[in-house]
Amino acid sequence: MAKRLLLVDNEETILFALQRYFTRVGFAVDCAKELEEAEALAMYTKYDLAIVDLSLTTTGSTEGLEIIRHLRSTRSGARVILLTAYGSPAIEREACRRGADAFLHKPRPLAEIARVAERLTGSFA
Amino acid sequence: MIERLQAPGAIRVEFQPIVRVHDDHVELYAVEALARGPRGTSMERPDILFEYARRKGQESAIDLVCIAEAFTASALLPGAPLLSLNIHGATLTSIDGFAQRLLTCAAKHGITPDRLMLEIIEHRAPWVIETFRATLDELRDAGVRIAVDDLGVGASNYQMIVDCRPDHLKVDRHVVLGCSRDPWRRAVLESIVTLARACSATPVAEGIEDSDDLALLLDLGINTVQGWLYAPSMPAQDLAAHPLMLR
Repeated sequence: MAKRLLLVDNEETILFALQRYFTRVGFAVDCAKELEEAEALAMYTKYDLAIVDLSLTTTGSTEGLEIIRHLRSTRSGARVILLTAYGSPAIEREACRRGADAFLHKPRPLAEIARVAERLTGSFA
Repeated sequence: MIERLQAPGAIRVEFQPIVRVHDDHVELYAVEALARGPRGTSMERPDILFEYARRKGQESAIDLVCIAEAFTASALLPGAPLLSLNIHGATLTSIDGFAQRLLTCAAKHGITPDRLMLEIIEHRAPWVIETFRATLDELRDAGVRIAVDDLGVGASNYQMIVDCRPDHLKVDRHVVLGCSRDPWRRAVLESIVTLARACSATPVAEGIEDSDDLALLLDLGINTVQGWLYAPSMPAQDLAAHPLMLR
């Protein structure tokens, strides 16, 4: 059975690129652009991996942290990669405290995101 | 996304027949309107659509959109069937004058109250029970039938039955599917039949997918059913050509 991936980003181009890549390597991918959409998806689907942007509305907002909290509160076993263009050590510490497995600063090459995803979920093959 | 969902045509409605099974024939009893969000989005799944709307605080607004789209789409169905609509319990109390709004909207589409069944799909506290009951009474007095949906799972419990005084108990597919092979499901169904009889309500079994389950339901006295064994949900124009609609 295909591993399930939740992609959360408010930028269409990033969602498109990540969805295309991870679908090609065999993931079943769901995409969300909003906090509430991501939470709704996580209510009804058990994900193996979530790649979540920190800010989904305004610069400096932290909806991504809420999504991590939600995933953990639903006892989801999903591994979580948090992406952000506006990270700080404090945000990184908070993300780890809430259960993020990796924290990556944007922009990041797709290959590097894929390497981290593979490390967290096992071989894509 | 929430604004997009409220644009005309964004939410599509499919219909699934609810049938009555007799010894020598099957007749259409009603068609249930089932909402789907825009194609290619996560909202295509109704569970995601309504969970998202609830989290956005727009559950009732989306309910109204779904109802309006259902009325529009139902114009393609022949024979003026009983139209079953899903509605969140919260919508009955959060929309001012909900009963009149529903009946007025139906009338604009040429649908009389006796052609409507409301399936109450959730009833979460806190709620204003007086308003909830008054709205249901107003609808019932006008001729609308009331059903408790998803009986047996989630918030569809005895409280729902007490508060709704339903004409129909729609038994969730989780209880129905595989009932012919599971004594626990059979026991739950037997208790629902007894409960329905005591409440003068008609049990309706959802999720009928095989004939063994159907045979058990008929043995128990449940002959109003819905599921893939008879027809999946489909757009109105497809259902219009389905043999069940042409009988």
